Amino acid sequence: MQRIDVVRALAPLVAAEDLFISSLGGLRNDWWNHRPGGVDNTFFLSGMGTVSPAALGLAVALPHRRVVALETDGSVLMNTSALCTLGNELPPNLTVFVFDNGVYESIGGLATHTSWRTDLARMAEGAGCINCLTVHDVDAFTVEAERMLTDDEFGFLVAKIEPGINRWPVEKQKITDGIEDKYRFVRHIEQLEGIRTLHPAPGPFA
Amino acid sequence: MSTTETAGYAELLLQGLKQANVEIVAALPESLMIDAYRLIAADPDIRYIQVASELDLPGIMAGAFFGGKRAVMMMENSGLRQGCEPLARLIFGHRIPIVMIMPHRGDLGEYNWWGHGHSLTMAPILQALRIPSWEVYRLEDIQSSVKKALIHADSGQSAVALIFGGECVGVPHYAKD
Repeated sequence: MQRIDVVRALAPLVAAEDLFISSLGGLRNDWWNHRPGGVDNTFFLSGMGTVSPAALGLAVALPHRRVVALETDGSVLMNTSALCTLGNELPPNLTVFVFDNGVYESIGGLATHTSWRTDLARMAEGAGCINCLTVHDVDAFTVEAERMLTDDEFGFLVAKIEPGINRWPVEKQKITDGIEDKYRFVRHIEQLEGIRTLHPAPGPFA
Repeated sequence: MSTTETAGYAELLLQGLKQANVEIVAALPESLMIDAYRLIAADPDIRYIQVASELDLPGIMAGAFFGGKRAVMMMENSGLRQGCEPLARLIFGHRIPIVMIMPHRGDLGEYNWWGHGHSLTMAPILQALRIPSWEVYRLEDIQSSVKKALIHADSGQSAVALIFGGECVGVPHYAKD
């Protein structure tokens, strides 16, 4: 199972109105080209270890909105305390998908701890998370992902994937930076929710 | 058991957060502001998220911001060291507005040998992360400072730190006269 296989399986299970917090790396272009609706519903975070906390904050802020975290093994391993915070909060509108290829692919493919003895789903379970599973093929991923996305409970699904980067032509690559991404994501949520997050300055022209 | 003074600063902070429409507080509690954590956690109008590491706090602030909710993170000033990487990523990489409140552990008269380093590293880290900070040492400044910090972060799309000290922190029982 490759990363792109999981992305292709996940895309039809989610909706344009859902909100996604994603890692960068290989997910960047794969998810960019499969995000539902092709709208600015995904925020690609540069910081490993920050994806799940940001998804938690968003899920708590918008409890009526389905929020999806697109994690990686490297990112989860960098901040395992986040598993405990997730496990104690368990926002029912949040599902975490971990793309676990067992390597730091962006830097050349050196192994992560999940290539050896570390089991992220069992760690999450021990941290208090519920609905923690590991899957090894696309069929199992599809079944479990669909269940977790529709059960109104927190979920933590680890997809064991093979290393490998899907090459995208230049015109298909995501080219925006982290600051433009912020404004686009916030504007999208403002429109989606009918709220105002970025306020105009007060004064005679306001 | 709290003294009247410590309960006073905590109550003023809670009121200040509410007046500023803060709906989410994420924190790693510590001793100098313990009454504040207890009050905020028990308040039905504020969603309190306790973390196990300051590494979680900046991300939670980012998510709350995306969702249009005003949020504040609280921690000991030593948490700046732990939270340095996610703060740097979110401030420099994404310009996420973040308001943080921390007590000045290591302030003049610090009685713990381990607390001095907290103060010595606080200012250089704030400077390195380009986080403007203001001291809040008088009770009458708490509410206005919270309100202004949120406005500052919002209009500047930047992080802001409020350093609580003086009348605005509690005194642990072992340090009382």
